[in-house]
Amino acid sequence: MRGIFSVLVENKDGVLSQISGLFARRGFNIDSLAVGETERRDISSMTIVSTGDTRTIDQIEKQLNKKVDVIKVRRLDEAKCIEMEMMLIKVSYNATNRSSLIEICSVMGAKIMHVSNKHLLIEIHDSPEVVENFINLVRPFGIVEVQRTGTVAMSKN
Amino acid sequence: MNGAQAMIKCLEAEGIDIIFGYPGVAIAPFYDAMYDSSIKHVLTRQEQAAGHAASGYARISRKPAVCCTSSGPGATNIITSLATAYADSIPVIVITGQVNSELLGRDVFQEADMRGATQSFVKYSYLVKNVDDIPRIFKEAFFIANTGRKGPVLIDIPVDVQMKELSKEFKYPDSVDIRGYKPNTKGNPQQMAKVIAAINNAERPLICAGGGVILGNGENTVREFCEKYQIPLVHTMMGIGVMAKAHPMYYGMLGNNGKPYANNAVANCDLLIIVGARVADRAIPRPKNLEKKLTVIHIDIDTAEIGKVLGPTIPLVGDVNNIFRTLIDSDIHVDTAQWIRELESFKKSTVDHRVWSDELVNPMTLVQTLSNKMDDDAIYVADVGQNQLWSADNYVMKHGRYMTTGGMGCMGYSIPAAMGAKFCEPDKQVVAVCGDGSFQMSMYELGTLAVNNIPLKILVMKNRFLGLVREYQHYNYQDRYSGVRLHDYPYYDKIAEAYDMKYFEASDNETMPGIIDEFLACEGSAIMVCNIDSQDITK
Repeated sequence: MRGIFSVLVENKDGVLSQISGLFARRGFNIDSLAVGETERRDISSMTIVSTGDTRTIDQIEKQLNKKVDVIKVRRLDEAKCIEMEMMLIKVSYNATNRSSLIEICSVMGAKIMHVSNKHLLIEIHDSPEVVENFINLVRPFGIVEVQRTGTVAMSKN
Repeated sequence: MNGAQAMIKCLEAEGIDIIFGYPGVAIAPFYDAMYDSSIKHVLTRQEQAAGHAASGYARISRKPAVCCTSSGPGATNIITSLATAYADSIPVIVITGQVNSELLGRDVFQEADMRGATQSFVKYSYLVKNVDDIPRIFKEAFFIANTGRKGPVLIDIPVDVQMKELSKEFKYPDSVDIRGYKPNTKGNPQQMAKVIAAINNAERPLICAGGGVILGNGENTVREFCEKYQIPLVHTMMGIGVMAKAHPMYYGMLGNNGKPYANNAVANCDLLIIVGARVADRAIPRPKNLEKKLTVIHIDIDTAEIGKVLGPTIPLVGDVNNIFRTLIDSDIHVDTAQWIRELESFKKSTVDHRVWSDELVNPMTLVQTLSNKMDDDAIYVADVGQNQLWSADNYVMKHGRYMTTGGMGCMGYSIPAAMGAKFCEPDKQVVAVCGDGSFQMSMYELGTLAVNNIPLKILVMKNRFLGLVREYQHYNYQDRYSGVRLHDYPYYDKIAEAYDMKYFEASDNETMPGIIDEFLACEGSAIMVCNIDSQDITK
């Protein structure tokens, strides 16, 4: 199963390493991890997406809660939360396929941020599935570079 | 007041009167401040021993104890004892000096990233960057170490921060407020109700007590519970000491190295109440089998321990004393007379099929004789290896304490830990029991004992091998004994003489009891070597 955790942590040095170290040490997967400050400078928010069986996902929640620098752990229900991700992707083009690449971007709601004579630098922000789908659509053109932020998620309630 | 003086003030405010440590340049300001304080410093011969000594002291005093080292190799040397304390949940405060804060991260002389290096071996760690944070950090460190599931806390402090003057007046905080750390001690009422119902419905209830019962100071309460409802008890290796061997509800240690009648009780109960135990692989090798067939109540202060290995039917988080006090005061009716008759008849019919050598001293008889002859409230510290398993199997628990390192299994633990225990309880009899391998791992601490006139008794089970590895190679590698021979060295009598210790030696079962009498009765510190046949094994 997939576990989405929204975790509030103390915004101080060493905390990210404690959290990633916890996952590494106990053999938990990290599918994605996104961190940023909240409206309070002393608190950061992390969205961690992991996969594992029920007991593993339960253990992740408990082990996160055990950390002194973790203030709050919330497990988000996939059906009741909004998941978003942003990606910058550099794709090659040539005279013959350029217009079909631009068409894909416009259908998918992606934005062309920069055009050079060989590449388009495209930005897309959407659910992780859509971002994944976009990568598959542009793959035949030739992907030069990808930067993804990882999923951030928030409960609808 | 500078940072180092503030550190001493904090320790005094916490009631600390002894520190085990090893100095160096990066911790020199702290040592200088200690010079003017009433806190006693015990110079060990290596940093690892300082950690084990503090751990032994903490276990006996039931409060956090303190050790300190300098930076770099001094600090890395102490990591093994931190890992040992962490695995056994012992509250130890470790203060390590660090290089000048402006030089951090530049790989200067004796710099080691201690926070990074100890991340998986401490409950929490601090790198002190601002001298004015010292009172808050010390207050928090003691609180974190000694609440919830206890454990070591590291305070790494650069030498310049120790020397810097505080910018405001020193004030030790009265309380702590850590928003991410609020240990839960009271059992959830709904879960408590389920636990009570489960006990009421049980016909063959059994308690499995772990080291957490002792760490939570819950021995008396758990015993009272067993007595009131006539519920039998088994325990893990770390749970030795929860109940005396002569107690009618006592059914021994479970697990790979435990008693067959304890494992029989686990296999045949219909309700297993696990309290303060990790359900580790050596105690319960096949947790999945248990899950399927019986009701399991798992009580622990650490939420994450519950369900880590075994999926319990009823999880209950809280403090052992609170929970068992509530259970004692509850309306529970359970008739266990038939169950206890069954356990008793199995126990009586248990035959020990192990074959022992006729030569030299029988290790089983040795531990029984020694622990029987020791004072009722004596402290027995077992090391790691065959000596540990023979000790756990045969130790006669009366009203004393039994210490060993169950989680990490760290060789060389017994001498420094027993030394820490003796510093804590100078009037109590303390015996360290080790093998010839583990003795040599901490042999250097005889210097600390001698200098401080610590009348510790050290019993060495000598079989000229790393016995437990040899035993493993016997069973798994067709007697291909690789790298396990210790031969006859050292000459223990000469070692004893070198450190002004008395020396005793036993080589047969007939004279051994009399020699133990002399060994225990003699003034000052002593080494007693018991020669054991290397053919003798634990299983």
